[in-house]
Amino acid sequence: MTTPATLFDSTDAMPADCVTGLHDLLTACADTKLLLGYHYGEWTFGTPELEAAVASCSLSQSELGHVRLLHGILKSHWGEDPDALVEGRSAEQFANVTYLDRPLSDWTAFVAMNAVVDLAVTRVLFATREGTFVPFRLNVDKMLDEERYHLHHGRGWLRTLSQGEPEACGRLVDETVKALVAVRTWLGPADDAGDRALVTAGIKGETNAQVFESVHTMIRQLAESCGLTLPDLPAADFAGWDAASRRIGTRLDEDILYHLRGSKNAIFKLN
Amino acid sequence: MATGEIYEVFARKAHDEELKHVGSVNAADDDLAKAYAWTVYDEERWVEMCIVPRRAVISVTHDRKHPLCGN
Repeated sequence: MTTPATLFDSTDAMPADCVTGLHDLLTACADTKLLLGYHYGEWTFGTPELEAAVASCSLSQSELGHVRLLHGILKSHWGEDPDALVEGRSAEQFANVTYLDRPLSDWTAFVAMNAVVDLAVTRVLFATREGTFVPFRLNVDKMLDEERYHLHHGRGWLRTLSQGEPEACGRLVDETVKALVAVRTWLGPADDAGDRALVTAGIKGETNAQVFESVHTMIRQLAESCGLTLPDLPAADFAGWDAASRRIGTRLDEDILYHLRGSKNAIFKLN
Repeated sequence: MATGEIYEVFARKAHDEELKHVGSVNAADDDLAKAYAWTVYDEERWVEMCIVPRRAVISVTHDRKHPLCGN
């Protein structure tokens, strides 16, 4: 007979390393979703077909909804100010997947973002769906339900682009690999203490290293089913990796940060 | 971008309602058609939505292609 896992209604009874680890993870997911929302929104215009424009706009809205939800949890249980999370942090502190740090150069980059980066965040959420942190568990199914259509869109477009000319397929492979490498860095090293603490406490069902292996396998199998072969990823080097920012000496583009923030429109804010 | 085919979209708002045709989308494959159907026809809180490739729809009314009684 197994002992029922201890459930956490708040952070009060949670081990200290879990409090920090979960704060970092939720912030990283919120930041990545904020940037996903930004790029999906940017690409509402300029898509190859009208349906993709509508879809992109919709994907942006659902990502921003998830940011609001995650910020609400960070406010309720860590006392974070949602405005300050966006307005008050520097470009080095944003804990998004670095693939989203710059404008996406073309539709191929968009598809790599959709198929790989969006999948990775969703896969992290999936790893917590039966977790012991109740406030998050109560919300995760709604997010996963909505993410289903993000994954359909990413898979469908990766499959579509894979039918292009060899040069276009080569570029698709390059961008997919870049996105995978960025996701691997974002998820962090296998021996990250905060991540291990979350798994030990049952807040997550898998380590981030396991999540990455799953994402990598899913993308490799999808690519193979389309006739694409992904090369082996370069060896991982986590020297200098920071658990809070999930970065190694990189920073978000200042122009994107400026557009993310509402500070330029603060005079219009209703109190 | 050349796209594949037309999918007809059906949905219902309650489990005791019948599925109704709500529109169509043009997509390269089933995955994209699901994403497009869900995002284009999101004006209601559907409890069920499904798609059917138009090529799979069998016309029951006289389609003027096949003569009556095989003649």
